[in-house]
Parts: sequence; structure tokens; C-alpha cells
Amino acid sequence: MNLTDSSIENTIKPLPVEPAEKDWGVGVNAMGDTHSPFPRVNRFRRFVIDSEFTVDHERACLVTEAYKKYSDSPQIIKCAQALAHVLHNVTIRILPDELIVGEMAAPMKAAPIFPEHSYSWVIDEIKNHPWEKRLHDNYYITRKSKNKLFGIEDFWKGQSIDEKISSMMSEDEKKGSNLERNLYLLNLYMFAGIGHLQLNYEKLFALGYGGIKETVKKKMAELDQSNPENLRKRDFYRAELIVLEAASDYLRRYAALARDMAKKEKNREWKEILLKVSENCDWVSEDRPRTFWEALQLLFMATTITLIETNGHSVSFGRFDQYMFPFYSADIKSGAATRESIQELIEILYMKDIWWTKLRDRMTVIANSGRGMGGDSLTIGGVDKEGEDATNDLTYMCLDALAHTRWGTPWLAVRWHENTPRELKIKTANVIRIGTGQPKIFNDQAAIPASLLSGRSLEDSRNYHVVGCVEIDAGGKEYGWHDAAYFSIAKVFELAINNGRCLGCGSHCMRWERCGGLGKRLGPETGSLADFTLFNQVLDSYDKQMKYWVDQMIAGIEIMDRVHQEMKPLPYLSALINGCIEKGVDVTAGGAVYNFTGPQAVGVGAVADGMSTIKQLVFEEKKVSGREILNACESNWVGYEPLYALVNSDKVHHYGNDDDYADSLAKFAADTYCKHVENRPNARGGKYLPGVYSVSANVALGLVQWASPEGRKALEPVSDCVGAVHTLVRAHDVNGPTAMVNSVSKLDHIRAGNGTLLNMKFSPSAVSGDVGRDNFISLIDTYFNRKGMHCQFNVISRETLEDAMKHPENYRDLVVRVAGYSAVFVELSKPLQYDIMGRTELSFD
Amino acid sequence: MVAEKHKPVKEGCIFNIQRYTIHDGPGIRTEIFLKGCPLRCRWCSNPESISLHPEIGVYASRCIGISKCGYCLKVCPESENGAITVKEDRVTEIDRNICNGCLQCADACPSNALTVWGKKMNISEIMTVILSDTDFYAKSGGGVTISGGEPLLQWNFTIELLKECMAKNIHTCIETTLNIQTEVMLQVLPYADMIITDIKHMDSSKHREYTGSSNDLILKNMVAIADKNKPLIIRVPVIPEHNDADENIHATADFIKGELGNRVKQVQLLPYKQLGVEKYTSLGRDYPMNYFNPPEREIWEKNIKRIAAILQSYGIPAVPGTGAKTS
Ligand code: SF4
Ligand code: SF4
Repeated sequence: MNLTDSSIENTIKPLPVEPAEKDWGVGVNAMGDTHSPFPRVNRFRRFVIDSEFTVDHERACLVTEAYKKYSDSPQIIKCAQALAHVLHNVTIRILPDELIVGEMAAPMKAAPIFPEHSYSWVIDEIKNHPWEKRLHDNYYITRKSKNKLFGIEDFWKGQSIDEKISSMMSEDEKKGSNLERNLYLLNLYMFAGIGHLQLNYEKLFALGYGGIKETVKKKMAELDQSNPENLRKRDFYRAELIVLEAASDYLRRYAALARDMAKKEKNREWKEILLKVSENCDWVSEDRPRTFWEALQLLFMATTITLIETNGHSVSFGRFDQYMFPFYSADIKSGAATRESIQELIEILYMKDIWWTKLRDRMTVIANSGRGMGGDSLTIGGVDKEGEDATNDLTYMCLDALAHTRWGTPWLAVRWHENTPRELKIKTANVIRIGTGQPKIFNDQAAIPASLLSGRSLEDSRNYHVVGCVEIDAGGKEYGWHDAAYFSIAKVFELAINNGRCLGCGSHCMRWERCGGLGKRLGPETGSLADFTLFNQVLDSYDKQMKYWVDQMIAGIEIMDRVHQEMKPLPYLSALINGCIEKGVDVTAGGAVYNFTGPQAVGVGAVADGMSTIKQLVFEEKKVSGREILNACESNWVGYEPLYALVNSDKVHHYGNDDDYADSLAKFAADTYCKHVENRPNARGGKYLPGVYSVSANVALGLVQWASPEGRKALEPVSDCVGAVHTLVRAHDVNGPTAMVNSVSKLDHIRAGNGTLLNMKFSPSAVSGDVGRDNFISLIDTYFNRKGMHCQFNVISRETLEDAMKHPENYRDLVVRVAGYSAVFVELSKPLQYDIMGRTELSFD
Repeated sequence: MVAEKHKPVKEGCIFNIQRYTIHDGPGIRTEIFLKGCPLRCRWCSNPESISLHPEIGVYASRCIGISKCGYCLKVCPESENGAITVKEDRVTEIDRNICNGCLQCADACPSNALTVWGKKMNISEIMTVILSDTDFYAKSGGGVTISGGEPLLQWNFTIELLKECMAKNIHTCIETTLNIQTEVMLQVLPYADMIITDIKHMDSSKHREYTGSSNDLILKNMVAIADKNKPLIIRVPVIPEHNDADENIHATADFIKGELGNRVKQVQLLPYKQLGVEKYTSLGRDYPMNYFNPPEREIWEKNIKRIAAILQSYGIPAVPGTGAKTS
């Protein structure tokens, strides 16, 4: 172990939790209740997992009251008062075994409502699509809460962000979006907040809320109030003080509650803990934390308040092992804590993370299912600001905590670099082999250059952390809009070979009356495969369609950005992102040091195989005509069975097999997207960064696309992330993981500044034993030497997943990797379950 | 019989190239499977490896149906004579007495219902595949394993392939039955870094009963390898009720300890699994161990551990399975 403080080394005994590692097993997953050596953690875990998900009205009602009361205040003051009103008045609770406290303005596992973002769907779903009747992702809501929510319906009519965005978008921008044809999905930021960031915990720990308030007051005092420009800044600073004071008050309310509870508590141990919790909350309500426990309490509350304010997910923990290490090391030295007690705290943090939940609308959950907050990544390992290995005790302890809690939270990301200690690699591999799909591994050798290329400084690039599923981010300094859109390049390809028309156009389509029925096209006329005489015309047409659709998407995103700036400034978040207080500018308006926008391309594999099929069969072997390919897709391959079989067979070049023929087309498919997206300016003074991954949007985007030339039938998912195509009949990658890795490394990962992702699925037998483990590590090492950015793994056999679909009751605890994150398998939507099962299993026996 | 001298052969018949194999030799390896085998082990799970020549496999369930497709019938020069059998619209069988082996049907078949086992490949084609994973070999201490069938049936080709790997500094293994003329084996040996072989039974007549051939040559060759102190891995396929009796295990131990001087890197005990049945069907053959019902997992696992313990008691580096590291 590589300890940065050698004096500690002598005082530390090996962790008693360590021997458990030997029995972590391979592909055993989260089934079972006693993985943690700490009874409290096991108890707390079961208690939290078994509790029901609900929807709570309180936040929505309090926000409405504040909006009414402050209707004539500047928007930023109104928003600040709304948050303060919630923090001052919302009901709070402390439950048994909570070593750190805090709730998201709603009870445990209850989703608060954010009417200022979008509200009509909430009412519509209560009335017409009850959440408790959903097939998956269901929530319970009481009659009382429903009535409360109905009570504020009128106030929010026409007042939500989504309605404003929709009214500002032109017909052309709308037609490709989630509002209509679903070529690109803007749902996340249209209906909810942005999130996808990390608070500057280092700053918070260094100053405390009190210190930050002082900074704000100083900045405000320095303002020349006669300068009209500065009136805006004065409002901003006023808003800062309102929310920071409210945050302190929120902590003090918990301190008081803990104290009251302690008075009545009979159980001595719990009574003492309550007193300690009360002290912790009291202290960090203003002051800088002194111990690991205090720091953790402050971190959790600060993050929770951000969630209450922003309605954004993927609010990530950042480099936890780095900024917490000083507290850890001081506590161990002073004897204030033991490694065991700190280990237990980390595990409680992981379980507290399950408390956060987000109610998503029914369209979103069809494919993006899962009720967790989502995106709460926690990054460990990697290099420090000087480029040296930063691994420390906490790095290992965070991995242990994952093995001990085995749930989907937080989303652990381990950074590897050239000098990552072998012990860390082994532990990482061991945890992956458990089978919960965690952690994901990031490659410093690719992420740091990519970050530099995006324009972050060397120090900030080395200090990157992972936000949400995939995205690299300069924690605490950046507002990266990392999840701005999912953009189907597979659909662009379809329009490119069919002269801007959809395949499978018909009255079932929601645009039929404006488009298909009138004989119009969806996109520009860029030619048809039926007429092309050279393969290059296909590529040309793809490039032109791409330009057109990227233009539409970006116009839509810019509208969203402006509406968020105008309607929903985020004063609390602004206090904890560097640059905002310094500049006196809200984070939504470009206050952060770094401002990016990251929309992702979905379907690289699909486009590659589609192009490859056409190139080979139409233009080289001349086995079929372009017209026939189009007809085959139009008829969903019915009547074209031999062609369907051929396209799906290894007689056609396919991406993912280390075959340059198809791999070079994959590179072209992704590069064309990146070319049109990269470096465009955004509304916050920053620029666009393309990403190439789908998370699970490939399912949603597939559900609205007709059959396609790579051998996909109508409505099947398109290919996931940077993975190969897998259709109903066959996975197109057949040469195993090294070939897959070689193919994927031919893409330009560094150019895709918002991230890429390779999902791999291994059968347990493929990674078992020392041999399996060591070669697995070598495989990742080689991928990373070739500048692959990021990979993650499922180690669960297909049989297990099949059985889980048949007998969900036996698999309540089965956690699997979806993409970027892990989730409970049996709670996922059916299409997503099939998608996960279909990913090629890399097996050796 | 005097063994011939090696003549360079640049083309071989391959039935599979598998990348990222991790159980046949150290590290991450590319494994080249050569066609042709002198043994007929009852438990063989690769029946397509036995013949030296390409053969057609028939997977009826994948056939689209001749009414929609029928491409195979159109191209087959012997279809009039009934080379291809169709039942309920699907191609179910090929009559191997009528078929002339032209392989055109498989070439035309879009669905892999007709597929070819075996492909002629030359050294440079194979090396292209091998070389694309050199980074992985370097990182993991891996390399190339030539397996079969019996790679030494095509020994002139195998030597050329090994030489080529040697020239590129790639670690090589051959996985062989050793049922081959000693003089031939001795010519191949210098080009391989490691040998993997089997002891299937110590009793020669039992060996003949289960594999169609005695073990005399195999054991003799093994001794020759040990004498040269070539890195050697021995595998014992543990086939319950066939070769797992104590007597045979002790005989195996005596041989390894005595005749080989225990000069083995590892002795791996492999469980019997009923694999490859569908491949037998595709070749129109019956699975030879149809009569046998394999025991439950717990039982065979226990059995293998028991055998490992016996061998270990002789000081032999025996391990269950192939998951343990060799050195
Ligand atoms: S190999 Fe040739 S002769 Fe035999 S069935 Fe096929 S096409 Fe007919
Ligand atoms: S060519 Fe293949 S799919 Fe077509 S009929 Fe023959 S066996 Fe069936």
C-alpha cells in the first residue's frame, strides 16, 4: 500500500475486514445480507432496501408558497427564497443507524417534486398513469399528497421550464427532438435540472459555510453599486447569503432534532451517537470540519441541498479518497477514529445514497429505468496534481466498502494510470468479479489528454473526476452540461440512405399528419441508396444529414440553456462551484471556471455495420441492389429472410472483430459526429464537447426506429455505447475481447471529450481463478495503453439473467451493470433487460 | 520406419483460431486449432477436429427453409443425386457418401445452417491474426498455442508456424496428444517453448478401448520431453468410471514421479463435461458417450479434489482445473 504519510504506516494494523476478500467470489453478486463486517451496515442496508419508494408533495408545496410570496422579486432572489423556505420548513427525520443525517426535502426513498421544472406530466400521470401501477419504477403516493399536488396545479400552468422551452423551439428544432421524432433526446434537461457536476468540497472544508458567507460579504462590499452592471451581481450576492444561511439553518435543525431525540433515547449506544450527530451538525453548520465524521456529515448535507435546489442528477462525489485523506490521516494520528470506524462511516454513506430518488416521467423510464438518483459517481485512485500516483488507504477502503454493501450506489469509478499499484488493480478486479457491475475503470492516459484538449489546465485535468456515467469533469470548477442530449447517429444514417425520409414511415408515426402523410421528408434531400452509384455517395450523404441534424439539436440545446439561465438560477450551487462568487455570476449563466455542453452520439456500431453491409454487398460484391436493401428494411425483413440472415452472418464485415474494413467505418461514423459538434460555442461562454456513448438511450432510440441495414429489426435497441451490434439473431462481434478492444481502440477517444464507454460482459468462468483475474487485468491494461478511455463489466452468466427474468421473486438483490451505472436487474424494463442479456458474453468454456 | 526430414509446408488446415484464450498456457494467448487427429477419444468435444480435411456441418435449426432460400440446392453439383436431405422444408443432413466435398453449399448458405469446419490458411494469414494481439501477449506474458486435433499430424506446417512466432519473439506452446512418431516429435520440440499433453489412462488396453490407440508411444514421448527438461504441463481428463479409479491415479503418479522425474510444471485435472454434442449432430455422427450420465457438479468437484490430493501426496504439482498459475 502506498501511504502518503509514512508516519501512519507504523500505527496501522491490517484491516480485520480484509480476509473477507478471499471469499468475495466470482459472479456471486449482491444476493445475501451479511457482506459487511459491520452489523450496523448490514442492518441499515436491509432496512433501506426493503423500504418502499414513494412520492412526496412537501417540497412542491413549499416552493409554490415561496414563488407566490416573492413573485415580484428578481428571479434569483425568488429562487433563493424558495430554497430557504423549503430548508426552513420541510419536515425532517432521523432514523436508526444513521451515522450521518440529511434528507432530500422528503422522507427516505421519497421523491420530491420540482414543479418549477415541469409539472403537467406529474398531474397527468397521477390522473391517468398512476405510479403505483407502473410495470417497473413504481412509486406509492398517498391520497393526501395527491390532493396537495392537485392544489398547486393551476399555479404552475404555463410557468414551468419545459413549457417555456417548448414554446421557444421552432418546428425544425422540435421535429427531431423527443417532442416528436426522437432522433435526439433532450428530455433530461427539458423536464428536470442539469446536475452532472461536483461541488467544491475542498473549498467547503477549507472555509465552512461561515467562511464562504464572509467571502460573499466581502465581494458585495467591494461592488461599485453605481455601476448598473453590478446590480445583477448585487442580487446574486444577496441570493448567495440567503441560501448559505438557510443551509446552516438546515444543519442546525438536524442538530436540534438529534439532541431532542437523544434526551428521550433509552439505548445508550444510540443515544451517544445521536449526541455526536447533533454536535457534528452544529459544528459544521458554520465551521470547518475537524474530523472525518464531521467532514462526511458536511459533505452529505451540502450534496443533499444541491439536489433539493437543482433537480439535477449525477451530482457526483468527486475524488473522495483525495479530499478526505487529510481528515482520515489526522484522525488516525490523533486517535479520534480507527480505520474500522471510518470504514463503517464510508459504508453508511454508500447506503445513505440509496435514500435519494428521482421520479422520472413515464416516457423517460421506458428505457432509462431505475429509481436511484443516478450518476452519483465517486472517484478514487489516479494521479495527483503533479502526475504522481495518488493511491492511499481510502482508495482501498472505498473498494472494500463496495464489496461490503453491494448495491448500485454510489457509482464507483477507479482511475488507473501507468503506475497504479498492482494491489489496487487486483482489488479492483476482485470487486468487479463479484458481479454487481462495479466499479468502472477510467484511463488517465486517455482522460487527461482528452481533458487538456477540451481546454482544462494541466492541473485540473490531472485532478479530473468522473461525473455521472462516463464524463470527465474538473470537479468543483465546472458546469459541464454533460448529459445535454442523446443523439441517434443510427437514425441520421437511415435518413442519409433514404433521401431524408424515415424508413417505415406510416400513420403510426406522431408526425404523420405534418410530414409523412403530406409526402414530405423529415430531413434534407441528400440522396437515396436506390440511386447511389458509388459508396462514397453514402458517406457524403451521411455527412450532410449529420450537419443538418446537429444544427437542429444544438439550436434546441441552446434554447434550453437560455431558459434555465432565465428561469432557474442556482444560487446555492453557485456558492460551491469555483468562479461564480469570484465573478459575481450565477453558475447557470457561465459563472463556473469551465463551461461545456456534452451531447452524445448513439449507435456507432449500428452505423458501421450498416455502412459495411452496403459497401460490401451493394457496391463490391453486387449481391443485392441498394433498392433491395431499402425495401428489406421497409418490410422489416419480411420476405427478405436470406438477406437478413446474410447481413447478420460473419460473411459480412462487422465492427468489433478487429477487422479494418468495418472498424474504419465506425471511426468515420463517430468522427463525422464529433466534427460537427466539437468546439461550437454555448450560451455560457464555453463550448461543445462530443461524447460517444448511449448509457441506455440505445433502447429508447431503438424503440422509435424501424428496421435498419445492419440486420436490426424494427424497434430493437440500436448498438450500445461503443459496442458492437447485437441483433435478435446474433451478436456481430465473434472474435472475443482482444478483438473487441482492438476495434474500439481504433476510434478516437481523445477527441470524444465528453467520454466514451466500452461495456463488456464476462461469464464468471472467464474471470475466475488467479489466471482469470490476471489476464483480465492485462486485458484492461492493454486497452488503456491503446488510449481506450473507459470500460466496465458485467460478470453474470446469461443463465442467471434468464432465470431472473423467469423468477424475479428470487432475485430481488441481483444488481447488474446497465451502462455507466448498476441497477437492480428485476426492476429494469423488459427491453433493457433483453438488451443487457444480449451483450456478447465473453466466455471461454 | 525412418522418420522423414522436415520439409517446409506453408499452408495448413485450421478449424478455429481463438483469441484471448487464457487456459492453454500462460497469459493471454491466441490458439490455433489444426485439423486432424490420430486418436478417437470417446469424450472428445471437438469432433470437427478429427478429419484432416474440411467438412460440412449441418445446423438444421438455423436453416431458413428451402422455399424462402434454397441457395444450397441451386449450387450443389450433387443435389440431383440427393446429396442434400430436406425434411419439412429444412435442410437436415448431407449424405456424405454422395457429397463430393466441394463446399459450395456452405459458401452459398446465408444463415450458417451449412457451415464449413476447416479452412486452408497460409502462414502469413495466420500470422496477421496472431500479430494483432502482440500487445496483449507482452502485457500478460502470453503468446501462441498450437492445438488440434493433433498439431503434429501437420507437423511440417506446425514447425513453420512456430519458427515464424519465434522470429517475432512470441512465446509458443503446443498442445499435443504425443501420439506421434518420436522422431517427428523431436524435430518439432526445439521450436516450442512449452508442451501441454494428456495422460488419459495408464493402462494400455484401457487406453486403446477409450481412445482407439495404445498409450505406448505417448508415454515414451513424454519421457523424452522430460529428459530434455522442456517445460511440460500434463492434463488428466477425469472421466468418472473410466479413468478415475485409485489404481489408475496411483499409476499416473508413479509414472510422473518415476519416469518423468516429476519434471512437470503442473498437472491439471480437468472435469468431464458433456460438450460438443451439437457438433456431432452437425456432422451426422452420434455422441460416443451417450450411454454415460455425468454426475452432479458437487460430486465431480469433490472427486477432482480427491484426485489432486492423491497426486499432491506424491509431491506432484497437481491442481484442479486450469485456473491456477503455473509458476
Ligand atoms: S459440399 Fe458440394 S457436393 Fe457436398 S452437399 Fe455441399 S454443394 Fe453438394
Ligand atoms: S442455403 Fe442454408 S439456409 Fe438456405 S436452404 Fe440451404 S441450408 Fe437452408
